[in-house]
Amino acid sequence: MVTPDSADLAGARPQPPVPAEEVPLDLPFDTDGLYAVRSSVAAHAGHLGASTQVVQRVLIVASELATNAVRHGGGRGRLRLWVSAGRLHCEVSDSGRGLADITAGIERPAPTAPGGRGLWISRQLADEFTIQSGPHGTTARFAVSLDGDGPDTSSDEIA
Amino acid sequence: MADASMVGRLTGGDHACLTFSDAEERIDLVASFVRTGLRSGHRVVCWTDSIPPDDLARALAERAVRHGAAIRRGQLTIAPVHSSLLGSGGASASEMISVLTHEIDRAAEDGYPGVRIAADMCWATQPLAAADQLAAFESAAAHLFADGRLCLICQYDRDRFDAVTLAFAAESHPKAVAAQVYYDSPLLRICRQYSPSGVRVAGELDYRQQEEFEHALGESLRLDRNMHVNLRDLAYIDAACASLIVRAARRLPASRRMIINCRGVVRTVLDLVGANSAPQLRVTVAHGHA
Repeated sequence: MVTPDSADLAGARPQPPVPAEEVPLDLPFDTDGLYAVRSSVAAHAGHLGASTQVVQRVLIVASELATNAVRHGGGRGRLRLWVSAGRLHCEVSDSGRGLADITAGIERPAPTAPGGRGLWISRQLADEFTIQSGPHGTTARFAVSLDGDGPDTSSDEIA
Repeated sequence: MADASMVGRLTGGDHACLTFSDAEERIDLVASFVRTGLRSGHRVVCWTDSIPPDDLARALAERAVRHGAAIRRGQLTIAPVHSSLLGSGGASASEMISVLTHEIDRAAEDGYPGVRIAADMCWATQPLAAADQLAAFESAAAHLFADGRLCLICQYDRDRFDAVTLAFAAESHPKAVAAQVYYDSPLLRICRQYSPSGVRVAGELDYRQQEEFEHALGESLRLDRNMHVNLRDLAYIDAACASLIVRAARRLPASRRMIINCRGVVRTVLDLVGANSAPQLRVTVAHGHA
């Protein structure tokens, strides 16, 4: 039996290169660009074949990661979105001073805690999540399967 | 221009201009006006134009106005504005005044202490409407309010009337009614909701307007027994603001509730920040927005 170390649990495995020639959305952003991030991600994800549910998950995670970049990662970042092997992939990178704790968001934050929920939400909604961080920046990457509903976070909705 | 008054404080003798930015906000203000009138035992008349009477009745019911029994006993009337002559286009100012006088007299004959009328002025934007007569009417109507039996709100859509007409409407009404707004931009509007009372947020909400949102929730926490947070027109909420909602709900005493109506995407974020950890919180997903 193999016990994963904490770095693996945090999704800190090395990331393969982004397939540069096949990235339909490559968007630099800053604080004022968060609306543009959301509308571009939603539009492109829909165009790339994602269902409404998948678009919502990608929108929520991409927006939280972009928010982290502008709030804690030096005020700006870059977002890329592409499809590979039946999954929608998204990478959000910044050139900030890096995360203090790469395992942030693995444990559910207490309901009374003032913050720290963006990474928790991201890890919950993504089918695959990796994050690398150092003194020169943070790169988070996630993937959501284009078929299937993925993690069920909703309950007894009145629709 | 008159100061913006709280719609719930309008009383007999008031002639107010109600301005609104979207359909939800107008119906909310009208619902509050109708509910206060029914509760105080007045006759209430809604002359509607842009919203068909059946749709308005349904919308009122969704906003905690029990209209069925009130309509059956003749206390409440919901009718197209053109049936009132006010909206018949060719009506003169004096004819409009006689229509209102008739309503005041009819209410008195039926034993009501007064009549509250909510009139949709949307018809006045139509090409053949006697806009000059509308202006004459708004000025000449002053004496109708002297004895305190009539309370009239004229609804003006800020998007459909030109600035000159809106400015005139504001000047010719002794009072103005609008929703209290905590934040307003083309991408986000945070305002007070009056019926049922609470907060309404439309657009996209993130940490940048966390302070204004917290202020709005705080007022509702102080003013409302149960807080109704209307997020039906909210297309996105971030974890920071969703968490604010959950923490506000957890501060409520066990006997009070926070009731949220939202879209599926907002529900997902609320669930992930611990909505189910607050027994005071009720979250329902708006029809057609799973």
